[in-house]
Amino acid sequence: MSGTAEPSRRAGGSRLEMYLLFLPTSLWLILFIAIPTVMFFIYSFWTVKDEFLVKGFSLLNYLRFFTTGVYPELLGRTLVLALEVSGITFAMGYPLALFISRKSGRAKSILYMLVVIPLLTSYIVRIYAMRLILGSNGLINNLLIILGLIREPLPFLLFNRFAIFLTLSVILAPFMVMPIFTSLEKIPRSYIEASRDLGASDFETFWRIVFPLTLPGVIAGFMFIFILTLGDFLTPILVGGTQGMTFGKIIQMNYGIAYDWPFGSALSVILLILSLAIILIASRFGALREI
Amino acid sequence: MKELLRLERLSKRFGAVAAVNSVSLSVLDGEFLTILGPSGSGKTTILRMIAGFEQPTGGRILLDGEDILDTPVNRRPFNTVFQDYALFPHMSVFQNIGYGLKVRHLPRVEIRDRVEEALASVDLAGYAARYPDQLSGGQRQRVALARALILRPRILLLDEPLGALDLALRKRMQITLKEIQERVRITFIHVTHDQEEALSISDRIAIISLGDLQQVAEPKNVYFRPANMFVARFMGENNLIGGRLSARSGDLVRVQTPMGTLHSCSAGLGQADAEGRQVSLVVRPENIVLLSEEDSGAVNALEAEVVREVFIGSEDKLIVRPRGCPGMEIMVKIHSDTAVGARSGQRVRIGWRAENCWLIPEAEAACP
Repeated sequence: MSGTAEPSRRAGGSRLEMYLLFLPTSLWLILFIAIPTVMFFIYSFWTVKDEFLVKGFSLLNYLRFFTTGVYPELLGRTLVLALEVSGITFAMGYPLALFISRKSGRAKSILYMLVVIPLLTSYIVRIYAMRLILGSNGLINNLLIILGLIREPLPFLLFNRFAIFLTLSVILAPFMVMPIFTSLEKIPRSYIEASRDLGASDFETFWRIVFPLTLPGVIAGFMFIFILTLGDFLTPILVGGTQGMTFGKIIQMNYGIAYDWPFGSALSVILLILSLAIILIASRFGALREI
Repeated sequence: MKELLRLERLSKRFGAVAAVNSVSLSVLDGEFLTILGPSGSGKTTILRMIAGFEQPTGGRILLDGEDILDTPVNRRPFNTVFQDYALFPHMSVFQNIGYGLKVRHLPRVEIRDRVEEALASVDLAGYAARYPDQLSGGQRQRVALARALILRPRILLLDEPLGALDLALRKRMQITLKEIQERVRITFIHVTHDQEEALSISDRIAIISLGDLQQVAEPKNVYFRPANMFVARFMGENNLIGGRLSARSGDLVRVQTPMGTLHSCSAGLGQADAEGRQVSLVVRPENIVLLSEEDSGAVNALEAEVVREVFIGSEDKLIVRPRGCPGMEIMVKIHSDTAVGARSGQRVRIGWRAENCWLIPEAEAACP
């Protein structure tokens, strides 16, 4: 009798323990993710009239987004920016990931750490670092002046759309390199050996075997960079100047400058839906397994 | 059969570790050669050097008498069946098998015809559109085989291809492998750690241990006439009796052991092995018989006591302890039909013929 009763009692105990174990995490997620999300979702249906919040259901904010040409156009421009940033990080990041994955032992871990370490520093610090590099008194301009290639600092390096593109490409690059590296590492050596054994050259082996098998990692990289670029507002604020405007910055402006929280929330909801759609598409290609 | 491939003093070191130690081996055209050894013996490294995945640190590999060490993997006329099959997961069975033809830029129609033919030859017609993860282990194995054979290599290299299969399937695949080899008449070099597998499908077996080649011979010779103690032990269940040569006359020798004088044929001994030399007598359990009271004339007869009898299917294993050597156990295999139902402690007489044993000129502890 006791032999049958004991295991069930133990199982009951462990279930309670399991709930207790998840409690802090769940509370954290509910408090800081779920509630704010629901809140700005509700906010997006309210309106502002004469600087006062009107708490009544209305679709005016969404109507405003779709009828004012500048907002969809800005979203489109930001999507193009995201495409450019992911394109260049892919073009630079794939060879880098391939290079690192072909190293062995110590060299491999050191090189990979070099890619990842920037993520451990603050995001703002990394943007400021780019300002120091690109500014009129910055690394690039000073170097070019010292070399005698230019006399005046190049003005187009900072405070425009190009600066946003360049900065995002540098600071988001690890998000492209990491998933590609992970998917490269997952390819068994025997696949590559089998391809060579069957007569394929190194290039053919890469093109027919390695690259197709890393596509989920590439798509994961694109997904990361798309979502991070779409929502980013600090980079345009810090290096974008007056002409560098992105979708993330317009949301921030509605919250912080115009004090139109409902419209800002509506734009956020649109951004959220877009981001979820990107994740959904990416997961179709198995990209989420690479993270 | 003429020689196709020759390994000349082939060596491979990984840092301070010698994985393969000056191995010389001749592979004949059309034979089924098995490289047999325990794990870590260097057998796979030899195969990988032949394929071209590893560069030897010493020695040469000659194909038709020409050194091929500078020939890259994709230009060597060999194909490999990998231990994990290495089927490309993003390609269908058709694309996997046709891969080698596709990278050779053969016409589409020819690729289609040859892949279909290859599929039929491994009984997988109708599976062309499947993906590797939709196949069973045995089917994957056959796809890997078809993918390698479709290129008509001079040598097919098999790296423990049956290792991942369950016992029944492995037995079936052993026969399939042998049948395919006899049909296509391509030289197979097969690596395994499974003695029974090696014995059942090979024309010749090369036994390797700790990077050293121990013996190359036909299965029967490896089994009944091991060249040294390692082979005798590795080929399983040999009875090894240590002793000293006491007399040698022509084909017959006498060996002095703690159990008395045993007679053996001189097979296995060199000309120089004279009286007084430490030797080990090898007798296979199936060559030992139980003697009745009337068989008093048997050359090798020992009084012994039954330790236990183990039923293993078609045979019974009788473990006996010879008189005069209480630390030793001798294994006797007897057909289940004639099993005596021996109880432990029962006295028996065992014996074997002088021509059924074999001598290794190495010492074995006489009475462990």
